[in-house]
This record gives sequence, C-alpha cells and structure tokens, in this order.
Amino acid sequence: MSGSLIIQQPGHSVVTDLGRFRGPRFGLPVNGALDQFSARAANILAANDDNAPLLEVTALDFRMHATADVLIAVTGAPLQLTVGGRECQQWEPVSVKAGETVALRGINGGLRAYIAVHGSVEAPVLLGSCAPDTVVGFGLRLTEGSELKTFKSVQPIRQPYFDLPLFRLGLTRPEYSSTAVVDVTDGPDVDEFGDTADLLYGTEYIVSGRSNHIGLRLGGALPERQSTAEVLSRGVPVGAIEVPSREELLVLHRGRGVTAGYPVLAVVTSRSLDVLAQARPGHKITFRKTTVPEATAKHRAALRELETLRSTVGTVFSLLGIGNEPGWHRLAPAAGS
Amino acid sequence: MTTTPTPAQPPVEVFESGDAALRVVASSPDREANWATVHALAAWLEAAGPDGVQGAVPTYDSLLVEFDPGVTSARQVRAFVQLGLRQLEFTGVPARAPREFSVPVVYGGEYGPDLERVAEQQHLSVEEVIELHTAKSYVIRCLGAPAGSPMMDGPDFPFAVPRLKDPRLSVPAGAVSVAGRQAVIAPAVAPGGWCVIGQTPLTVLDVEAEPLVPYVPGDLLRFHQIPPEEFGTYAGRKLEAAR
Repeated sequence: MSGSLIIQQPGHSVVTDLGRFRGPRFGLPVNGALDQFSARAANILAANDDNAPLLEVTALDFRMHATADVLIAVTGAPLQLTVGGRECQQWEPVSVKAGETVALRGINGGLRAYIAVHGSVEAPVLLGSCAPDTVVGFGLRLTEGSELKTFKSVQPIRQPYFDLPLFRLGLTRPEYSSTAVVDVTDGPDVDEFGDTADLLYGTEYIVSGRSNHIGLRLGGALPERQSTAEVLSRGVPVGAIEVPSREELLVLHRGRGVTAGYPVLAVVTSRSLDVLAQARPGHKITFRKTTVPEATAKHRAALRELETLRSTVGTVFSLLGIGNEPGWHRLAPAAGS
Repeated sequence: MTTTPTPAQPPVEVFESGDAALRVVASSPDREANWATVHALAAWLEAAGPDGVQGAVPTYDSLLVEFDPGVTSARQVRAFVQLGLRQLEFTGVPARAPREFSVPVVYGGEYGPDLERVAEQQHLSVEEVIELHTAKSYVIRCLGAPAGSPMMDGPDFPFAVPRLKDPRLSVPAGAVSVAGRQAVIAPAVAPGGWCVIGQTPLTVLDVEAEPLVPYVPGDLLRFHQIPPEEFGTYAGRKLEAAR
C-alpha cells in the first residue's frame, strides 16, 4: 500500500542517492549523498537497495509526517530523533504509524543525517540518478508541504515491554569529532608544490563557513605551487585538494566541477570523504598521508561491515515478514536440512 | 606495468589520483594525436565496460578514469587502460564525421561585459576581436564544467586572455567567453572567471533530453554576430546541428 510523507519543516533537505555515476562523462558532477557510508547504512537498515532514493538532511531541524505506516532508519550525524513524540534510536530500524510525526532536532557533532524509508520514495531521475544537481537545476529540494510518495507500508512493530528499543543490530557507528583526521594519498601533481607540499601534513586546518557540497574550504598554512605554467583543463577526482587562492585550501567533494585547471596536490580517500561530509564550519582537520592499497583496504573493510549489517537485518526482517522483494537476502537453509 | 609498449602504441603516462580514479596522460609531442588518443581510449573504456569502471572523462591530453574501489582497484584499472591502448594500436583511432553547429551571438554591452577589456588587452579594436572570434570553426575538444560546456581551442588572438581577478558569482546561461587560448559557451548559470564577450540566445542544455547537450567532442562550432534586437527572436530555440 502506498502513502506519502508530508514535509512540515524542511530545514535544508533533499532527496538523493549514491550519485550520478554517468554524469562526469557529460560534464555533470557525480553528486549524491556526501556521507556515503551513512546513506548506505540507512538504506540497508530499511531493507532497501544501497542506491535507493533517501533523504539527506543538512544542519537544520527537520519534521515530516507519514500518511501510512512506514519503517524508516535514520543515520549520519548525532541528533534527537522522535517519532510521535517518542524518543527513538538512530542507526536502527524505526516503525512509524500513520499520522505520526518524525522529527530530527539538534544535529550536532556532524552535519548531515540520512532518512531511508522501507520501499523508498518517488523521485525524478536524470542519467540514472535522482541526486540533485544545483548547476543544471535538477532534483528534489524539499519545502514545507512537499509530498513524497512512498511505495510500501509496514505494520507497526512495537516492542511489547516498556517500549524498549526493538532492534539492536550492533553496527559500529562512525565517530564524529570536532577534530577529524583525514587520510589522503599523494596527488598526481604533488611535485609541482616542491617542499611546501609537506605543509599539508603539519598544519591544523579550520573548516570555513563557505564550504558546501561542491567543496570544503580550509584555512591554515598553504602549500604553494612552484611553477606558473598554464594548466590545460582536465578531469579532477572527487577528493582532489587544490590551492586555487592564497587564502584557502580547497577540497573538492561530490558536487565538484568535473574539469579544472588547477594542480592536484593530494586526494582524500573514499573513506575519509565521509568524514569530511560531516565536518562543520569551525571544525579542525589534520591530514594523514596513506597509500592507495591501504585506502582501498579501509574502504573494503567498511563495505564488509555494511554486508554484515545487511545479513543481520535480513535475518531479523525475514522473521518479522518484512522486505521479501526480489534481490533481498533470504535466510539460508540450515545446515543438514 | 610489465608490458613493453611497441613503437606504434600511443605513449601515455598513468598517475594515481586517489583510491577511486586514475589520470592517464597522452605524452606524444603531437597535441592532435594526444587528444585523439585520450578520446578514443575513453570511448573504448565505455564500450568495453570493465567491472567497476564508472566512467572516463577525456579533455585535451588527459583522461580521468573513475572506478568503484569496492569492486575493482587502481591496479586492475591500469591493466584495462593498457589493454585499451593495445586495442587502439590494432584498430587505429576511429574517425567520425564531425557535425557543425552555428551559434548566433550578441557581442558586447550587457551581453558581453568583458569585450572592451579583452580588446584593450589584445591591443585590438572591439570589431577586430569580434572578427577574429567569428573567423573560423572551432573543434569542440571536450565537455567541461559547468554542465557539459563545449571547451574549444580559442580564436587566433595575439595574446593569451588572462582570467578575471575576481571571478563572477553568476554568469548567465548562453554566455560566450574566452580565457587563455580557449573559448566556451556556458550551458547553465554558474560562477565563472572567464572573460564574457557575448551571449547566445539559444538554449544549449536540456535536462529533459538525453544527451543533455547536442554536441560531442570532435564536433565543430562557429559563432556569428547578430544585433541585440534579434536576441529575443531566438527565444526558446535550441542549439542544433546545421549538418
């Protein structure tokens, strides 16, 4: 049975997914959820595909109400989550009854939270993705009264005893701190910065308020390019660290312009891009040098953690009779049966 | 890599660019050949569709190959790139008949606020700048930011055009700009540091359509001047290939 979510207080929220991977070849940024781990986890906890459309709520308080019984999961930055006035847990599936209000208040420690709804929500698609693109003016930015169609209803599941939390799925939640360490590998143009490249590792940078989904601007000691030759525009990866001005370091995130003519000093690892997605203005960042094989290993370790979560959620939901759509992990037959 | 490139194999260098991308740079002394190599390699990668490779962004002499490090690795993608280069050596770089686009432009005034600045800097009259800008067809070298901008080799100006010291926060869609030795049209409203010398009334970007922009790298584009009073007569018209 389908229903909808009515946005009462949008704050700063959009419907997104993991990104427009076919975009860069056409000059469109990949975009998508800035904290990919939290977005994937939310969808997994709601028994969705990792890439299903979900809500990204940035910095400000958010409220919506459901017109049908739904199952949701909220991940990302720490906040106060209430459903129908009851306090609920983040990083766990949460049952919402028709008519109840879901409120996210006081996002702290980090910057972005994710709300996945079992069965997902309806969203327009461009090049295979619903991720908003601010440059071409595409996507669902939520406003007061926005109505999001949901596709699946889930009977209320309530713990019969004392309203204790229903699920304890045991995912290690990411840590959020105002002093984050960000892993980077040497960029393809590191040599252009000579000895000044080392400043990147010996400096504590402060996140500027002018940061957004396109890039974070960081104040602190700046490495300096030693040559002045004009650089032909070329593709730059998400995570590229550039020094375009004498004022700030620029760390490109998922909304970055695909091509640019600035030398790439270093590149933030996939895992640490999630850390940067949660950095608030005023937070302190230090960079740590790593290697591509190590970065890949860390990324894969995080994915394995998500797979474990998927299998736990699968077991619990099968027992509750939720989420038996195609592609869903069914219980394996017991050995010897 | 352990493979030894044959003399006919296009010379390239491959650089690490984080855990989810590689930069491939064609390094022959021939700029045209380098451009052809990175675009052919991008097309090959797209057609071959190796597991985990999300896409390739070719520009002038360089190609950014993006991949999912959960599925593949920099080492594997590097091997695919080498395989692609051997294929290109075997089949040659495929030729494609370019299409030509004709672009009406109102130069100067509110449409091209930097026209006089560019003329002054080039030691030319405004008319001479317009003449040089409309004198020939430009090859679209690649699609750039923002949103599928047609990046072209610029007009034969005497000097490279410096970028603006203070980039504009908002440049309108259709803005026709020059910088360095390059020329471009802005498909969408965006900030910009290039010198805006004119504006086309045609719609370049259509988010309802696929592809979003009508041209591909290798196509030709030529500007022609129209008077400001004609700007409105093009309202709602899309950029389309003339042939």
